[in-house]
Amino acid sequence: MTAPAADSPVLLRAEDVRVVYRRAGRRTEAVKGVTFDLREGRCLGIVGESGSGKSSLARALLGLEPDAATGRVLFRGRDVLTMDRDARAAFRREAQMVFQDPLGSLNPRMRAGDALAEVLLVHGRARTRREAAEQASEWLSVVGLDADYAPRYPHELSGGQRQRVNLARSLCTGATFLIADEPVSALDVSVQARILNLMKDLQRTRGITWILIGHDLAVMRAMADDLLVMQSGGCVESGPASAVLFAPRHPYTRTLLSSVPDVPSSLSRRFAT
Amino acid sequence: MTAPAPVLSARDLRIVYRAPGAAAPVPVVEDVSFDLHPGRMLALVGESGCGKSVTAAALGGLLPRGMELASGRIDAAPGVLRAGRGLAYVFQDPGECLDPVFRVGRQIVEAMPPADRRHSADRLRALLVQVGFHDPDRVARSYPHQLSGGMQQRAMLAMALAGRPRILVADEPTTALDVTVQARLLRLLADLQRSGNLAVLLITHNLGVVAEVADDLLVMYAGRAVESGPVSLLSSPRHPYVEGLLRALPRLAPDAPPLEGIPGQVPALGRRPAGCPFHPRCPLARPGCATAVPHPTRGPAGHTVACHVRAFPSPSESTP
Repeated sequence: MTAPAADSPVLLRAEDVRVVYRRAGRRTEAVKGVTFDLREGRCLGIVGESGSGKSSLARALLGLEPDAATGRVLFRGRDVLTMDRDARAAFRREAQMVFQDPLGSLNPRMRAGDALAEVLLVHGRARTRREAAEQASEWLSVVGLDADYAPRYPHELSGGQRQRVNLARSLCTGATFLIADEPVSALDVSVQARILNLMKDLQRTRGITWILIGHDLAVMRAMADDLLVMQSGGCVESGPASAVLFAPRHPYTRTLLSSVPDVPSSLSRRFAT
Repeated sequence: MTAPAPVLSARDLRIVYRAPGAAAPVPVVEDVSFDLHPGRMLALVGESGCGKSVTAAALGGLLPRGMELASGRIDAAPGVLRAGRGLAYVFQDPGECLDPVFRVGRQIVEAMPPADRRHSADRLRALLVQVGFHDPDRVARSYPHQLSGGMQQRAMLAMALAGRPRILVADEPTTALDVTVQARLLRLLADLQRSGNLAVLLITHNLGVVAEVADDLLVMYAGRAVESGPVSLLSSPRHPYVEGLLRALPRLAPDAPPLEGIPGQVPALGRRPAGCPFHPRCPLARPGCATAVPHPTRGPAGHTVACHVRAFPSPSESTP
């Protein structure tokens, strides 16, 4: 496995990103000034526990927190937070979100193929229904689903298949940058591994740049080139994944690492003879 | 191996689902057997839809509507299955058990047997300390929403223990929790089990958790037990499904091999294949696997496996 070049151009630069929600006179600082660079073709893992601000940060990076986010989010040098409408439309094609629960984010009354075709038409990737349907089948095959799946409704698909459709829907806009928020935590273990491997393949073969949001450091070990550890809204540690995982500096990172259950090490600790 | 009498013994459980108006019942759980021992933790492991939660629910007579225990026996020490006191449940979502409109302390007291209610304040404090609270009085006065997820989970555990159960069934108790909180709750469960001589049935999909705290495990697939025995068997499992699960598990170790998923998916209820339920996904499947159901074969130290290819040799075969 070769990690993507550590010296590829910077795709996304976050500078002192803050997210502050104000509701009913109360001020909640969800993200307290996070700064990082993400280079093209790499996977950045953002780990943290619930309430760490990782999902708020993800939304801010995509310009989905217009009223709450401050700082700068430079995508190919242009600030997502202050973009004009045209620039924003182009950004929305290139940068997409993949959610945890595909059942919640796929329209239950729309067949898988139609869901993709709609996105293709809206984003002007296809001009006619027929062209959109053809492209939709191609995108389904990119995520490992054959043409039989195009006419199926979400409830006729397994959890893993739904997540594949979801990935295809994000990719078919022509996206090169995907933010996946806990994309496998709703799936069974045997299915999780296959979706993670698909994501890795997309990174390798199509040059997709990923941000993977999650709580599971073992998943991050398998996926991330770089890691950013968040605790109560702030970044406590960041760097190349191997450094953060195998030579952690911050006590919180160490606590997180020591909390990950591991079958062989538990067995050898408990049953060593 | 010393084997004290089990506090509960389930034999050949067969649970079926009768859909309203449907002609034939659909099997949900088939031929599942296990024992629960005081002071030991048995983990029932499997992916969603394998029948593990249904099996646990059957013990307390809590099967969901439409499901019934069609055959098999559940034998327990006297009083264990009565009145819900001998057998207590803890679920994934504390919201299912904690009532939002009553203070936590009151709910725990209500779960106590009459003898304990006479000195309920002391007992309440003791229970809350037992589940790891340093400020039991404040917790007792709180409403559930004033506690974090991990604290709610511990409050629910205190409520389950209030009835002085002999058996604790914990159904995915840590799945909704953060990893650091999960680790603490698992240690707590293991302590309670040992110090209180409690028999624990842990329902989980997480093999990492199993290896950390369980004594024994039973892996289910599509309603059947595929492999069971002491948890140490995970270092050399025999069933191809268990091997596959371990290879699919992301690991932190720097030398961990690349992830490998299991092709295909868990079959839906009513669409389970004939023969071995795992054969359509099994890398070792042979023609016979599609026709005959493999029955559990016994190996050393209580290790059993139900697989045509990886069966333990029967005693008659091994002694010529």
